[in-house]
Amino acid sequence: MDPDNRAPGAASPWTAADERALVERCRSGDEGAFQELVDRYKGLVFALVARTVQDRSQAEDLSQDVFLRVHRGLPYFRGEARLSTWIYRIVANVCAQTLGRAKPAQLLDDPRLRGVVGDDVPRSGVVLSARDRQFSDLELRDRLEKAIARLPANYRLLVAAHYLEGVQYEDLAEALELPLGTVKTQLHRAKQQLRRLLETDLK
Amino acid sequence: MFCDEALDAVEAVAAGDRTPDGRLAAHYASCPNCATALASARELERLLRQRPMPVPPAQFTARTLSRIRRARWRSEQWLDAGFNVAVAVIVLAVVAGAWTAINRSGLASVSREAMDVFGRGAVTFARRIAPSIPVYAGATALLATALGVWWWAERGERGHGTL
Repeated sequence: MDPDNRAPGAASPWTAADERALVERCRSGDEGAFQELVDRYKGLVFALVARTVQDRSQAEDLSQDVFLRVHRGLPYFRGEARLSTWIYRIVANVCAQTLGRAKPAQLLDDPRLRGVVGDDVPRSGVVLSARDRQFSDLELRDRLEKAIARLPANYRLLVAAHYLEGVQYEDLAEALELPLGTVKTQLHRAKQQLRRLLETDLK
Repeated sequence: MFCDEALDAVEAVAAGDRTPDGRLAAHYASCPNCATALASARELERLLRQRPMPVPPAQFTARTLSRIRRARWRSEQWLDAGFNVAVAVIVLAVVAGAWTAINRSGLASVSREAMDVFGRGAVTFARRIAPSIPVYAGATALLATALGVWWWAERGERGHGTL
């Protein structure tokens, strides 16, 4: 999960060594280094949070919470994972706490959700009707955002994260400390649920 | 029953995670229901990939750093308060310990006698200078008045000298 991959023509890729050097500078009290860290990751953090909570003012507050936790946690960051992965975990925890759920890693296999998504999705009826295709993309996107808002928090976060440029399944699996197959399965279930919700909105 | 398998694979195929093999591809081509599901999944995939990217506000970094500084200041205030309380407790303990030690060792009586001598000396001194106190007070008041008049005059001249 590299924020440099998000924008074309961006700065040269950020290596693990660069991250370690930045962390060390932050730990030594270099405020300029922490500002650099914020500048580097604010796009990723804000996009993740905003797509998950879908409230821009709340997204800014929560994004600041994330960096506050990063600042407090830097002295204890062992560097076993990439800095971006660690920051993503903090984002996931902040969003989960805000949305009133347990940590995403625990919820992803929540048996309560199995009855809601995936298992009882009507197979033949989960379609976007012809009417949907006639509407402009703008209206469809609006319905999509409303449907995403109805997803469970952990699914929302997965959908938000996976479709950020440069984020792969492997990045999500590492961040959430889950098997790769589980991440893929949960994402597919989230999208099945989305298609079901979009169908409902048409009625 | 092959529809079940085909519908299960719809999300993976739409996301590009799985390439449908011959049998699966043929089924999608021949089964209207599964073909429609695949088309919907691909449409959803397209919409998700085209979701607008939220951008942080222009002052985000400045506001974030400001908030972190305030949080750090608050925690430092608590630390300072705790440190001051600890120091005060230690000082009180030392004073109490010293007082207890003085009392128990008999030094208190010696110090009380010294205080008595000092007090008597102060009273004697005060009695000697008491008749002269009005003179000293008058002289002090005269001097303070003169200084005040001089200050006021100087202030007035400086004011007239500026434009």
